[in-house]
Amino acid sequence: MIFKGMLALFLVLQMAMAGPEWKVAEPDFDWSFPRDHWAHSGYRTEWWYFTGQLTSREDPGRRFGYQFTLFRIGLQPEPSRLDSRWATHSLIMGHAAISDLEGRRHLFSEVLYREVPLLGGFGAPGDPLIAWSLPPAGGEEHWELLWNGEAFDFHMSDPERGMALDLLTRPAKPLVFQGPDGYSRKGKPSSAASQYYSFTRLQTDGTLTVDGKRFQVEGRSWMDKEFGSNQLAENQVGWDWFSLQLDGGQEIMLYHLRDRGGASDFARGTWISKTGEARYLEAGDWSVEVTANWTSPATGAVYPARWKVSLEDVEYEIVPLLAGQENRSRLVLDLNYWEGAVSVLNSEGEEIGQGYVELTGYGANNRPPV
Amino acid sequence: MIEANGSPALTFRRVSKIYDQVSGDGRFALRDVSFSIPSGEKIAVMGRSGSGKSTLLHLAAGIDVPSRGEVLISDRNLGTLSERARTLLRRREIGLIFQFFYLLPHLSVGDNVALPEWIAGSSPSEFKGRVSELLERVGLLDRQNDNIEKLSGGETQRVAICRALLRKPRLLLADEPTGNLDDENSELVMNLMLELASSEGSTLVYVTHSQELASLADQVWHLHSGALEAS
Amino acid sequence: MIRYFIRSTGAHLRQAPSLFLLTVCGVALGVASVLAIQIINRNAIGAFSAGIQAISGEADLSVVGRATAFDESLFPRVLGMEGVAAAWPLYQVDVALAERESFFLQIYGVDLFSSFRTPWSTTPEDLSEVVSEPGWMAVSPALAREMGWAEGDSIQVTSGTRRVDLVIGALVDFQKMSPLASRKMAVMDIAQAQGLLGTAGLIHQIDVRLREGSDREQLKGVLQQRLGPSVQVVTPEQREKQAADLMGAFRLNLTALSLISLFVGLFLVYTSTQASLLRRRTEFGLLRSTGATSNQVLGLILGEVVLLGAVGVLLGLPLGYGVARGNVEMVSSTLTNLYLLQEIDSLEFPFSLYVLAAGVGVGGAIAGALFPALDMSRRDTRALLSVTTLHEKVSSAALPLFVAGWLLLGLAGSWFWLWGQAWKPSGFVLAVAILLALPLLTPFLILKVCARIRVRGFNLAYALKTLSAQLQNTSFASSALAIAVSMLVGITLMIGSFRETVQLWVETTIQADIYITTPSWRAEPEAAMDQELVRQMGAHPGVASFEALRRIFVSTGDKRISLAGMEMRLAAAGQSRFPLVEGDRLNLLQQLRDQGAVLIAEPLARKSGLEVGDKLPLYGPRGMEEFPIAGIYYDYSSEVGSAAMDLATMQEHFGPAPINSLSLYLEADRDPEQVIDELRARFPGIPLRMRSNQHLREEIFEIFDQTFSVVRILQVMSLLIAVCGIMLTLLVMARERISELALYRALGAGRLQIFRVFVGKGLGMTLIGLTLGTVGGTVLAAILIYIINRAYFGWTIQAHWPGWPVAQQYATILAGALLASLYPAFRASRTPATELSRDDI
Repeated sequence: MIFKGMLALFLVLQMAMAGPEWKVAEPDFDWSFPRDHWAHSGYRTEWWYFTGQLTSREDPGRRFGYQFTLFRIGLQPEPSRLDSRWATHSLIMGHAAISDLEGRRHLFSEVLYREVPLLGGFGAPGDPLIAWSLPPAGGEEHWELLWNGEAFDFHMSDPERGMALDLLTRPAKPLVFQGPDGYSRKGKPSSAASQYYSFTRLQTDGTLTVDGKRFQVEGRSWMDKEFGSNQLAENQVGWDWFSLQLDGGQEIMLYHLRDRGGASDFARGTWISKTGEARYLEAGDWSVEVTANWTSPATGAVYPARWKVSLEDVEYEIVPLLAGQENRSRLVLDLNYWEGAVSVLNSEGEEIGQGYVELTGYGANNRPPV
Repeated sequence: MIEANGSPALTFRRVSKIYDQVSGDGRFALRDVSFSIPSGEKIAVMGRSGSGKSTLLHLAAGIDVPSRGEVLISDRNLGTLSERARTLLRRREIGLIFQFFYLLPHLSVGDNVALPEWIAGSSPSEFKGRVSELLERVGLLDRQNDNIEKLSGGETQRVAICRALLRKPRLLLADEPTGNLDDENSELVMNLMLELASSEGSTLVYVTHSQELASLADQVWHLHSGALEAS
Repeated sequence: MIRYFIRSTGAHLRQAPSLFLLTVCGVALGVASVLAIQIINRNAIGAFSAGIQAISGEADLSVVGRATAFDESLFPRVLGMEGVAAAWPLYQVDVALAERESFFLQIYGVDLFSSFRTPWSTTPEDLSEVVSEPGWMAVSPALAREMGWAEGDSIQVTSGTRRVDLVIGALVDFQKMSPLASRKMAVMDIAQAQGLLGTAGLIHQIDVRLREGSDREQLKGVLQQRLGPSVQVVTPEQREKQAADLMGAFRLNLTALSLISLFVGLFLVYTSTQASLLRRRTEFGLLRSTGATSNQVLGLILGEVVLLGAVGVLLGLPLGYGVARGNVEMVSSTLTNLYLLQEIDSLEFPFSLYVLAAGVGVGGAIAGALFPALDMSRRDTRALLSVTTLHEKVSSAALPLFVAGWLLLGLAGSWFWLWGQAWKPSGFVLAVAILLALPLLTPFLILKVCARIRVRGFNLAYALKTLSAQLQNTSFASSALAIAVSMLVGITLMIGSFRETVQLWVETTIQADIYITTPSWRAEPEAAMDQELVRQMGAHPGVASFEALRRIFVSTGDKRISLAGMEMRLAAAGQSRFPLVEGDRLNLLQQLRDQGAVLIAEPLARKSGLEVGDKLPLYGPRGMEEFPIAGIYYDYSSEVGSAAMDLATMQEHFGPAPINSLSLYLEADRDPEQVIDELRARFPGIPLRMRSNQHLREEIFEIFDQTFSVVRILQVMSLLIAVCGIMLTLLVMARERISELALYRALGAGRLQIFRVFVGKGLGMTLIGLTLGTVGGTVLAAILIYIINRAYFGWTIQAHWPGWPVAQQYATILAGALLASLYPAFRASRTPATELSRDDI
């Protein structure tokens, strides 16, 4: 899950250029944990991205997919010196989605605030709070992301939609860098890169609320953290990203960026072994074939809706657990993307894992501006 | 041409008055009228409506000028005088009495009588006595300060007579003086007029409809379509 | 009849073009004055609400400070309330252009990242620049064109003593969405507006959009409770109403004056109609004698009147717009000077105003012409055809009207005494009663006066005496003039008295040698001066002492007042700088300093019914607190209430307030102008307005005179119209009294004599009008000063007769009347004696 944040950035802000003042991702970044779990101002974009699948404890038949993301969008590299409590140099944006697989519904909630003490902000390394913001209008409980010592806890609520998440995670495997030393490339120019790591398997439990009804849930999550300052290349319109957790204890992360014609412009991937070793994949190491489509009734975009992924002679079939898992932002113009819970099947059609797929830049509205 | 006796107070020599008509032709209000009235005479002029009676009086008073011919008052040719001079002449020599009285409602009886002297610019002391004298002569001295609304028609005309005689005019001209009065008042007013004209030495020319009143005059003239005939 | 109408109208207009013109002008002027005032009135409110709309879009509720600004931390509380769909904050500050100090930009600081939808949804190109580029602002393309600005230009502005460079980041057409929005609007990021130009911690407004289906009233209540007493939650309609109330007195006065102008315009129509109808008497007689009914004749006359009225309306509409346009600037500055409201920037008028004006014009024309028309159409045929007699029925109505006039005055007076005093507009009722009584009293007075005149010659006295003969006309003209003169004298007296009072007050309170403030203070009353700068100026050689004024706006619960905080001590001259109406002079200072008492201005005391010893409620950050009132002082600086307290008290209850202005008291031998030059040289580049005592006083009176100039315009208009009335009346009289004039000629009066008598008639009517008007005007002035002023403004005005201005006005009127009489007198003098007893028709 690479450019999610960056493209969101474009769609929100139509940034002109990565100013020379912004810090850029480097291959030799000096990582230090847990310090680097907190925000890095000075980079233009940053996000904490959680996806996962949960089941209700009371009612194991009830399954949910969820997404929780907090973005930091930098407006200027250095803090503002204005004497005003509205002065800010970044925005905080939050997206949360719940796919109610039994109810066949997908709910989406979002917030967007400037980073000021009144509305939202980012903690300093060592604070329990990594990031927080006010909820959508009409609610009082803050959206929060916290470091619990081992992994992350997060809460969001949206009373008007009757939606809430209150989840605690513990790492089932250690964190892994996506790309050599956490340096992840996005395109042919060397400037197109970010610092990227993941917790690919997190034990998750807590509560999930849908329609005002609260469920005690447990399950597995995937966490991505990325920060950087570069931009998509001119010809790139969006990407497809896959995060797959196999029942055997391995994980696969794949992404490729598409050009205007729909062809793959740049692709990378990571294979994570049972013990947590990462092997980096090049474009030629894997392929994907779309076997079905889904048209969004709301935006008219035509998304791929089923895939055959071929990786090192193994074939996997990726099947969305619900068709309409499209997120449509009302706060940001033309920000629509598909982010959904999927099932991983082997070539015999048996379920061998679960995951999340993200599809951006589909549909006429959904182009990053030139 | 009609001749009268004595030195003339008023003379008309071939006087014609022509009014323009829409059709382009002129209408002769007076046609070639000639006469000479000696001082002290009393002349009645009779004629139907439109016969030119008022015109005659207007020309005699110098209010209007003839289209042709000459009008002389005390041997002075009005035609040679400017409008202003004629006005001044009128002040001195002519007294006018009208059918509709023409007294001013905002002035008292005495003030109405005094009006010509005001116009002439005389100071009140000069004519106060004369006003009272005249009013007494017509029997209205006690009404001197009254509002004229309170007077009857006859009384009103009597006041008008006083006004006309205030400045001892040589010529007294009356246009249907009894036209708006009943018979009784007509006789009264007519007699007063004649008497005062005599005692003041004024020449009187009056226009009338009534044969009876006309017979009170020294001479009766008839106007017919602008031409003068003796009866 | 219609065919006749069409043919005859043209002929009439050609025959008497002056009468036609006068009727049309009368209608046009009436329409123009009503329209102009209505336009200005409406747009004054409109400008206010449009300003809000342009920025706030369609808000359901607004949270505004009770005074001006409030704590910004209330914003999350609004967001958190159930039922709120969106909320956005607003910070508003006016700044002066460094290059053109009297030009103010209205800066709206908004949070462009809030979830909101403004009417102008054209998003700027690069939103991050809005925040990061120092001084980024968006202005309208129209303003940019006017000022010769382009995107990227740097514009220097001043806010208080701060000089700030702003940059034009984008051109956004605000006016497309809200046409009445001021063209001087500019939008910045809220942090920039607050940080660069304003004060941290405060915002001015939070606009709220509620969820669909919410109960607005209920949510309003909940929100108000949640947010506390330092703010008010209002609907957009309520805000408009607040502004309307504030301007209420001002607009009412303007409307009243326009109605009076309308009335005088109608008068013009009346007299010119009567004059023209009289000319055509025989024509009507002919029509009637050939079988036309009186209604047909009436219809004919009114038809012509409607036609003329329509022409008058066509003239009056653009004239009215022109007058409104021409006076917008001046009215607008009144609004900002006195009422601290928006400037009126552009004029818009809905179609309904046109319809109103047209209705007023045509309706007014008919109303003015109705009486003469009815009169003429109902006269019997013979009367129409026959020669006019000199016997006019003396107006027997004079006495009943006179009695009616006194009755009216008596009724109005007793009503006022018994019940009216509690009702705010009651003063206007009295004023109207006086103005209505004048025409009722006039005929009888003319009769009586004329009756007393002793005439000794064919002169002015005679001319006066004749006035009673045609009472219908003369009393009408005289009373119209009397009304106009009453207004003129009344208002002149009031203004004169007011000015004199203010003069005295200025002399008492403007004691310092130099007054220093900032250019933006005029528009932005809370613009601050830098503390250090103030200290340095105070320490400048030659300065004996100084006083720093801090002024903030606070709410008393139902109104907003300005509160000044200063170190309470006796001024250098030993006089209190607050000349007291009431209060214990000896213990005043002690009360202010030790007991935290306040002084309140007279207007506030009167309008709120407060006295010494009462408590003044003020809403501050700690909620509502009450302050004992130690004294009431004269204050003519504004109609909006004001109060003053010791600086320590203010800081304790309201927090540190910014210094807005500074007064310097110099040592005995220093020349103020020189010290000003020294200060300017010492602090170059800092935007300061420095004025010596002398200059400040001059400026005060400039503003004063400006405020009343609107009134003067209307006075002039009505006066012109009334003088025209004299001319028309004389013309009518020349025609109607033709036999009388002929009589004079027959009796030997020369043309010059008649001319003089006629001019005498004109002068006579004028003198009567002037006399009545003086009496009426004096009474009117008393009503204005002691009743209306007290009810609406609350000032004490010492009555004072501005002898010279009044004398000048009288001389002007007499000269005007004289001139107006010349032409009719000329026409009259040309009456030939042959008009008497013509026996042809």
